Amino acid sequence: MGNPGGWKSLLTFFILALAWLAGFSSRLFAVIRFESIIHEFDPWFNYRATHHMVTHGFYNFLNWFDDRAWYPLGRIVGGTVYPGLMVTSGTIHAILNTLNIPIHIRDICVFLAPVFSGLTSLAVYFFTKEIWSAGAGLFAACFIAIVPGYISRSVAGSYDNEGIAIFALMFTYFLWIKAVKTGQIFWGICTALSYFYMVSAWGGYVFIINLIPLHVFVLLLMGRYSKRIFTAYTSFFIVGLILSMQIPFVGFQPIRTSEHMAAAGVFALLNAYSALKYVQSFVTKAEFRYIFIMSVGIAASVVFLTVVGLTWAGYIAPWSGRFYSLWDTGYAKIHIPIIASVSEHQPTTWVSFFFDLHILICAFPVGVWYCIKYVNDERVFVVLYAIFASYFAGVMVRLMLTLTPIVCVLAAIAFSKTMEIYLKDDSPKTNHRTSEKDQENKNERLYDKVGKAKKISDNKPKDDDTLGINIKSVIVIAMLMMLMLFAVHCTWVTSSAYSSPSIVLATYGHGGRNILDDFREAYFWLRHNTHDKARIMSWWDYGYQIAGMGNKTTLVDNNTWNNSHIALVGKAMSSNESAAYAIMRELDVNYVLVIFGGVIGYSGDDINKFLWMVRIAEGEHPKDIRESDYFTPQGEFRVDAAGSQTLLNCLMYKLSYYRFGQLQLDARTPPGFDRTRGVEIGNKNYELTHLEEAYTSEHWLVRIFRVKDLTNRQEILKPKKPIKKSYKKKPKKVSCEYRKCH
Amino acid sequence: MEALYSIPFTVLECPNLKLRKPSWLRQPSAMFMFTLVLLSYFLVTGGIIYDVIVEPPSIGSTTDERGNSKPVAFMPYRVNGQYIMEGLASSFLFTLGGLGFVILDMTNKPLMPRLNRILLLSIGFIAVLISFFMCRVFMRIKLPGYLQG
Repeated sequence: MGNPGGWKSLLTFFILALAWLAGFSSRLFAVIRFESIIHEFDPWFNYRATHHMVTHGFYNFLNWFDDRAWYPLGRIVGGTVYPGLMVTSGTIHAILNTLNIPIHIRDICVFLAPVFSGLTSLAVYFFTKEIWSAGAGLFAACFIAIVPGYISRSVAGSYDNEGIAIFALMFTYFLWIKAVKTGQIFWGICTALSYFYMVSAWGGYVFIINLIPLHVFVLLLMGRYSKRIFTAYTSFFIVGLILSMQIPFVGFQPIRTSEHMAAAGVFALLNAYSALKYVQSFVTKAEFRYIFIMSVGIAASVVFLTVVGLTWAGYIAPWSGRFYSLWDTGYAKIHIPIIASVSEHQPTTWVSFFFDLHILICAFPVGVWYCIKYVNDERVFVVLYAIFASYFAGVMVRLMLTLTPIVCVLAAIAFSKTMEIYLKDDSPKTNHRTSEKDQENKNERLYDKVGKAKKISDNKPKDDDTLGINIKSVIVIAMLMMLMLFAVHCTWVTSSAYSSPSIVLATYGHGGRNILDDFREAYFWLRHNTHDKARIMSWWDYGYQIAGMGNKTTLVDNNTWNNSHIALVGKAMSSNESAAYAIMRELDVNYVLVIFGGVIGYSGDDINKFLWMVRIAEGEHPKDIRESDYFTPQGEFRVDAAGSQTLLNCLMYKLSYYRFGQLQLDARTPPGFDRTRGVEIGNKNYELTHLEEAYTSEHWLVRIFRVKDLTNRQEILKPKKPIKKSYKKKPKKVSCEYRKCH
Repeated sequence: MEALYSIPFTVLECPNLKLRKPSWLRQPSAMFMFTLVLLSYFLVTGGIIYDVIVEPPSIGSTTDERGNSKPVAFMPYRVNGQYIMEGLASSFLFTLGGLGFVILDMTNKPLMPRLNRILLLSIGFIAVLISFFMCRVFMRIKLPGYLQG
């Protein structure tokens, strides 16, 4: 123990390294159980785009027009994507290749998120260190490394924007706190650069560009204005604004949309305020303060009115639907069914809070309490972040992700403060031992009342202390037990809930584990057995996977930018066969792909999603599709004999249950018994007229149907004539299936 | 310059006006802010937004094998669904746990009689433990396979 400072940094280093390692390894469940594979839906597009970028180069990627998506519209990928993720993994790939480490880009994509989780815990450590103390920082780093709320988006294989964006988010906030604390332009510019990375990575950058101005605004209201804040904000805002406009997908949005106007307004306000401050140094009147407050109020209202006026005149786009739905919670349900249909956009229940955060959710308000009790400039920021993030997390399950880091930070503050109180050795000989700690946490020691309490009780009998030590150790042990149970919970949740690739399913029954690989089976069938330019119609969820694994053209995919196109597909799925055939002819469809879980009891199939197709179709075609037609008169959605006739004859139903009535799964159930819905289907024996079955995977999970060509006109029978016809006058059979593409 | 300013005042008379900040406009105290935050936290973690949007019943009911309808407090097996009461009950537990930590901190105030200190300490400690273990129990009811396998 010769050099305490050295021991301290060694310990810090080790704890952070272990946190990184633990976070990395607990994200590998999916890789170990299955294989190194890209998960879910969106990651497949990201992977495809990354692959395109690595093979064709960055500029070709920016100019990429993808004619295999949104047939017949196509998609300008370079202008509609946040390229940060692809560029990051492309850079790693390039560096490794120059070092002669040949690695496939897929493996980099799979392991990118777990590696970045380590960087996130570093960023959280530094953030918490700035806010509170190094000890709390270590707690926070360990929490964020294993907390399920963050693991849910960053397991190996979940190659999505959020994986790197949370790192960028926390790092930007760390630099911002640093900038506010020091008031140096250097840190302000660093904040802007990190913000630029965030903008290039995720649409959630809007959270930063609204939270930082809010912080500045609240500091102004609290009368905590200082030159440091002015320097930090102006340098960050100007550089950040210009940098963010360099991303093609963002473009001119930062000066044209309402989401960004708060930042500009606060910028103007801050300048007006500091100008008045400057004027104040000349004018020395007692009433100046009141005039000052008034003029700030006027400036604020002028800025506000300008923004409103410009919005009204059409220069600034109003809030987009997705953001609007955050404030008016009923908005999405009524106006944008496509947003409401996504399960991660559902409002949050208490289970999600406990499931994703466990004990941290209890310690979270305590951290807020400490931050409010010992408030300073940067703790105001933490409190604001906590309030807004928890509100947003309540509106959408998905935004749990932005809440998670701040919960870790605040819970770490709470735990570290509690531990500090109860772990403190009261015996007098160690008084000098903590002296180097004092220098580290100088501002904190100011509030530490333990020391004072001890001084007062010094002349009291000794038994107070000994009893205290017993109780204290009991409490500390209980806390440690809780933290241990937290770790157990995190591992359990990660392994059981967040580590399924969702394109490979596993069932556990007698005889161990059973792998259902139907998705890949069917997508590879598509890849190898259909024409290169074949158009596949499916519900939009599967668009990215068909493009990524099947390499085929899709009509709609998970980038749900064109509502009417999706509604058209929804209309085709919910119409009867002949009406659907007309739509499919218009859309030039060759194959229809449906997901059917009735055989194995898979609940995420198309029949369960079907009502959303109807709702979205009804939004665009209210005359042809009515949701009420698909319910029984009692208002139930059922597929058995009591179900509505419209439902039993629509295309989705017929494709899903085609030939299913002949299949008896179990001796105890009748033929055509749907395991997912638990009923015997109502419409069993029918034939398809305009489509034919092309492929059904092993467990019937994916069913692919070929759209038949138009039937030949009926041959007009002519009376037999004795005259011989020449051979070439026979009616030709038209069977070029892919006319359109030649 | 001074002459220019005084032009309007040759015609106008300065009103004797005193502007004062309204007395009710004060910076709220830290404790008040924390109470607000805690209240909103209680509501949000209880899924009040879910309740507003989805409008679930306050308590569900099932029918047992004899046809009697009996109340069910928890919507089992559904992570994305809840009844109003279960949400409020569990967010009460979250808040209770949080307050327990705060009370644990309060015991370190100087000049507190020993009995009070021990009482406060045990109250805070029990609050934390109760909330923690009750949350686990709730979780078991909600997802019967919780922490098993």
